[in-house]
This record gives sequence, C-alpha cells and structure tokens, in this order.
Amino acid sequence: MKYDDDTLMAFADGELDEVKRAEIAAAVENDPELARRVAQHRALRDRVAGAFGPVLGQPVPERLVNTARGAEPARRGEVVQFPVRGKPPGMPWRAREWGAMAASLALGAVISWKLLSPAEPLMTASNGSLVARGALAAALERQLAGTQTEADPVRIGLSFETRDGHFCRSFQLRDAGTAGLGCRIAGEWRIPVTTEAAAGDLRQAASPPPAVLQAIEARIAGEALDATGEEKARDAGWDPVRR
Amino acid sequence: MTSSPEEIGELIVALLPRLRRFARSLSRNQHDADDLAQVAVERALRHRGQFRAGANLSSWLFGIMKNAWLDDRRARARRAEVALPDDSGEHPAVTPADTNTSLWSVSEAMDKLPEEQRLAIACVLVEGMSYKEAAEVLEIPIGTLTSRLARGRTALAAALADEKVGAAT
Repeated sequence: MKYDDDTLMAFADGELDEVKRAEIAAAVENDPELARRVAQHRALRDRVAGAFGPVLGQPVPERLVNTARGAEPARRGEVVQFPVRGKPPGMPWRAREWGAMAASLALGAVISWKLLSPAEPLMTASNGSLVARGALAAALERQLAGTQTEADPVRIGLSFETRDGHFCRSFQLRDAGTAGLGCRIAGEWRIPVTTEAAAGDLRQAASPPPAVLQAIEARIAGEALDATGEEKARDAGWDPVRR
Repeated sequence: MTSSPEEIGELIVALLPRLRRFARSLSRNQHDADDLAQVAVERALRHRGQFRAGANLSSWLFGIMKNAWLDDRRARARRAEVALPDDSGEHPAVTPADTNTSLWSVSEAMDKLPEEQRLAIACVLVEGMSYKEAAEVLEIPIGTLTSRLARGRTALAAALADEKVGAAT
C-alpha cells in the first residue's frame, strides 16, 4: 500500500483518526522505507521543538510583564525571573527544556550530563541520539511503576508501545527534577525529549510535564501499559516481537 | 462577559514564555522577538474587547502576533525599497558563539522559509498546536495549513542539511 507524504506527516504529528492510525502503524512495521520516512518527520519535529524549547525557561523581560499589566514600558534590558504558576512571585522559573540538547547532537558533539553523581553520567550522546546510562538506564530497563519506592533515584511514569513498534517509558529524576521519555531502540534507551521540571511539579509527579506529554501523545499507539503489561514487556526484554 | 483588563493582563503574563518562544521562531534573534511580543501584547490589550469570553486566549494572542509579524515584514520591505538595501532596522542574527548552536542553526534555516511556511512550522512544530488550532490561528483552511506545513518541512530539512554540508567544508 502506498501512502503519500501528507498522510505520513499527519501520522507523525498524531493527527490521524484511530482507524487510519492503526492501519499506518501496521504498514510502518512491515515497511522499512515507510518507517524511515515517518522517523524523518519525527526527527525534524523534535529538532525544531528542541531548538526553541529553552526560550520557555528564560527570564521574561520586565518590560513585557509591565506591558501585559498595562504599566508604562520599562527600560529595555531589565529582566525579571518569571514566577512559577502557583508560587509566590520571586521564585525562579526553573522549567528549562532540554530538548535542544538532544537536537544539537545532530552536530555530532559528544556531551555528557552528570546529573546525579559526578562519577556517573545518566545520559550521553551517541550517534546523534541522547542515550540513557547508569542508574537511569537500569531503571528504564528493570524498574516497575507499581513497585518503585520513594528511595529510588528514578521514578518511572507511563510505559507504552509506540506506533512504530518500540516501547517508551516516561521518567523523572528525583534529585535533579529532570523529566523525560526513554524509548528502547536497538537495545538501548534513547531519550527523544527531556525537560527540567519546575520545582513545584515534582510533588505532582504523577503527571509528566507538558513537553513530555506532548512527546508521548505524538508516539503512543493505543493505551499506556497496565501493571501486568508493563511487567510482561520488561520480562520480554522490551522486545515487541517476543512479547 | 468581558474580562477586566487586570484579569486579561495576568492571563497574558502567564502566557508570556510561550509568546516569546513563538516570537523567537519568527525572528532572527531574541531582541527582535521580544519587540514583536511587546507589539502583540500592546495590540491585544488595546483590542481586548474583541476577545470573546470562552474562546482560547492563547490562539487569539498567537493570531495577533502573526498579524503583527506580517505587518512588520511588510513595513520593512517598504523601507528597504526606499532605503539602502541593508538598512532594514533589524538587529543582526545571533552568532553561533552567543547561544546554543541548535537554536542558531534551526533559526537560520527557518529564516530562509517563505512567510506562510514559517508560520505553519512555528505553530505546529514549535508550539505543538494541532492542525485545527494552527489553522484557526493562521486563519486558513486545514488543507492549506497541511500543504504549507509539508512544503515547509521539506524546505527546512533541506536548509538544515545544506548547513551541515556547509559546516563540514
């Protein structure tokens, strides 16, 4: 079956209805060329979203805040820390999106983040993708959402199967406040999106931050896995074929 | 029911980070982006009577910014006709050393797109709007949006690939 590029684009953007989506997901599984084209659409989307994402976390110039509040324009160049919603003014806005980093890896740079302990980077760049390492990789591979404890350094959120036949899991790092999505592709956990969650979001950890939710919605096929499905998928080594 | 200026103002304040991001994706640097955001916010407040309670405030604001951006492009084009070619009044694009290279390279590639494709990319890929919402913001039919989006994607991918080749040589 032939699909035109507009249809594949709409598929990659999560814009198709259930029937069409399922049909294309099945076709993509059996056709490497289709899979490649869908992956191209997603990669461009991730790169563009990642490039501009960090703007959200920048301090908003005071002149803009004053204009919105109907005050006289402030002098240029003054900045204020944008208040986190629900927090008293003056709290620094900490939601920095890190998708840009994943995107910048296309340049071939090798960067590592030492997010928990200096000795153990949790994500490194490899062949243009951000890949989970150390405790993060271990948690994505083994940890179950139902049995994890407050003491675990990584909190696993939703696990689900993607339309192109991989498993992804959302996660949050307790100490660093970083949230993201890990997808198991070619035997490793790739990180298509990470976000530094605002401090306030940590307490309502059940719900991933918007950037991660958006990444989930763009990929998920059907429903998220329940506890049984999650355990089965893990025991099958996150291999959709063997499940 | 119309919201009070104070209420609308606070709602806009909450949306400022997204407005700045949208503006940044339409501008060559953050300074021009903040000027654009400022113009859009001023217009929104001046015309707040046109905002229908219950409508989506962010869509309305993005639409105002879209018009402000197009107006500014037209004005610059007119000025360029009567002035020296490089007297556009624009601030220079950021250099790679100034900021993260990803933002710089994507921004440069976006700058090469025709206006209507750049707007489609900004709505869907940068802001993550659904096709329906993007079509409303841009005031175009969905079919027009998707064809602009598809052409914009092709052009953007080509521009980013060119840049990689250029950087390698």
